[in-house]
Amino acid sequence: MATLDALAGRHRGARIQLVKGNLLSREDCAVATRDVAVIFHLAVGGGKSFPEAFMNSVITTRNLLEASLRETCLRRFVNISSFAVYSNTQKPRWRLLDESCPVETRPELRGEAYCFAKVKQDELVTEYGRRFGIPYVIVRPGYVYGPGHEEISARVGIGTFGVFLHLGGWNTLPFTYVDNCAEAIALAGLKKGVEGKVFNVVDDELPSSRRFLRLYKQNVRRFASIGVPRVVSYAVCCLWEMYSKWSDEQLPPVFNRRRWHAYWKKTRYSNERTKAQLGWTPKVSMEEGFRRYFESCQARARHA
Amino acid sequence: MLRVAIVGCGKIADAHASQIQRISGCEIVGVCDSEPLMARQLYERFAVKRYFGDLSDLLNDARPDVVHITTPPESHFDIARSCLERGCHVYVEKPLTLHAEEAQILVALANERGLKLTVGHDDQFSHVARRMRSLVQSGYLGGRPVHMESHFGHELEDSAYARALLADKQHWVRRLPGKLLHNVISHGIARIAEFLSSDAPQVIAYGFVSPLLRGMGEEEIVDELRVIICEDERTTAYFTFSSQMRPSIHQFRIYGPKNGLFLDQDQETLIRLRGGRFKSYLEKFIPPVIFAEQHLGNVMTNVRGFLARDFHMRSGMRYLSESFYRSIREGSPVPIPYREILLTARIMDAIFDQLDTRRSPVISKSAARDQTRAYHAASVRQNERATPDSSTASASVG
Repeated sequence: MATLDALAGRHRGARIQLVKGNLLSREDCAVATRDVAVIFHLAVGGGKSFPEAFMNSVITTRNLLEASLRETCLRRFVNISSFAVYSNTQKPRWRLLDESCPVETRPELRGEAYCFAKVKQDELVTEYGRRFGIPYVIVRPGYVYGPGHEEISARVGIGTFGVFLHLGGWNTLPFTYVDNCAEAIALAGLKKGVEGKVFNVVDDELPSSRRFLRLYKQNVRRFASIGVPRVVSYAVCCLWEMYSKWSDEQLPPVFNRRRWHAYWKKTRYSNERTKAQLGWTPKVSMEEGFRRYFESCQARARHA
Repeated sequence: MLRVAIVGCGKIADAHASQIQRISGCEIVGVCDSEPLMARQLYERFAVKRYFGDLSDLLNDARPDVVHITTPPESHFDIARSCLERGCHVYVEKPLTLHAEEAQILVALANERGLKLTVGHDDQFSHVARRMRSLVQSGYLGGRPVHMESHFGHELEDSAYARALLADKQHWVRRLPGKLLHNVISHGIARIAEFLSSDAPQVIAYGFVSPLLRGMGEEEIVDELRVIICEDERTTAYFTFSSQMRPSIHQFRIYGPKNGLFLDQDQETLIRLRGGRFKSYLEKFIPPVIFAEQHLGNVMTNVRGFLARDFHMRSGMRYLSESFYRSIREGSPVPIPYREILLTARIMDAIFDQLDTRRSPVISKSAARDQTRAYHAASVRQNERATPDSSTASASVG
């Protein structure tokens, strides 16, 4: 609420009504959706637990959808999804990932609660659109970076084992600066004639993982990292998956081939549809976005 | 084939489903949650035959032999009673019920119907806990326990569960009589209860809201608890629950008249504490070598277990479930004696009664100090239950 209060404070002329509640409460959802024309559903359930991620993503979405069914003035339900839902295999145009690419059909096998919850959330929104005519739009941002989200994306690498393993190599990172992403989301709620469509949001001039890591080390902090070739990361994911199965999940299947395809496979990204149909362009360049992001990381490191 | 069902499809239900699947001779015939979407997500991720949104439908259509109840604690009693009345054996996640009286009713009902009941104190069935039990039973302590110390740490900062609890004033944990403590301390209390022989030990509890939580505006979640348990002036125990102590530990020490044992649940290590002393300077040199050897032995045991694919994080739950199912099939005793289950519930009741009285808004600070003295004074009396409005509440759990 403090963040929302601060936001309202910065826009004194705007008429803003804050509703405090829990999306797990149908009553709170009814209050929040009353007389609302456009719903931007940004709430997300993270964490490693599948039931918790599911509850905080899918049950909350269902409650919002049910509440909005009772409102006659709803014009648009903007559901914020994620690139995590794409399987990144069997794409129609080989390395290019766009809105036509297939979504995970067995998200539970990714070993990632967030992916499972987001796939199920998208399915639910689509189902309500089909059955009840809810005018929805699905927005799938890539990795949103910027002030307030200082972590290094797992697409770059992981520090789980005590040393940072750089898994991204020369892969392109599907980054979008937080302001650019916010604008795309806003347009998805306001643009006419895009109901039922999906929009991927990534910025232009996408960096490679190697370039990002180098800039991060130069601008934020130095640390040791080990570059892991793609063939090695794929082999490790295969072995981990096999061991997990053989050992009845003595090690949980958090590394597996599906995950490798989704995060560490060499891929190109497109934002053509979002530009063409929403009239969106990323206003903050990658260079400026990185400058703000690294400043934010430095500030956070000073306060830590 | 034993037909198993799970009621309540939240976080802990995942652990139950995955451990049940590792047990041969049983199948999950249904899962149920009052929120059908939650039941469906469990059904979709595990080998489960059907999912339900209503308990009656589950019991009627899936016809389970055993029901695992993994709902929030306030619903445990009603669901367990319904299942027992329908002829199902019941495994209830901890805490068994909100009050000892309810636990007593469930045990009586199970006995009356010839059914079995157990509670999810699965930490007591981990590899290391079983090794400790074997040593105690072999007489390593040299007699009945003289003293026990049970430490139970609970980190609040990094836990999504804690964040949800602290942010949501309507969170179900806040409705429990012991709030946060009620949902987590039974593992640590049950460890002590296992080695008590009296049904009515005296209990002295002191709890408070940590400075960290107070700084966050939290006034009702007690996250620091110290308890003294004493039976017949022979065996005593300390229980410590802390969210602030670092390292955050889950340890148990038990001392007999001859030797002691030290169990670390997180590291799954068991150390023998020999009662004898070496002569002079040898006491400074030899015991550290003995401890080093024991630690190395623990490493080897753990590695062997891991290589043998028998070192899962929830291995205690699997062992407890398997033992429970065996007791059903063979008519053998349940893995956790009912006396121990009820004693754990009574000790918890006594703790929460004392905290509740101490934290009552009508009691001033000075009165609270008097109240503390009253617990100490009353602790010598047996067979009297504490009540929140009693000025001389007894701390006896009998």
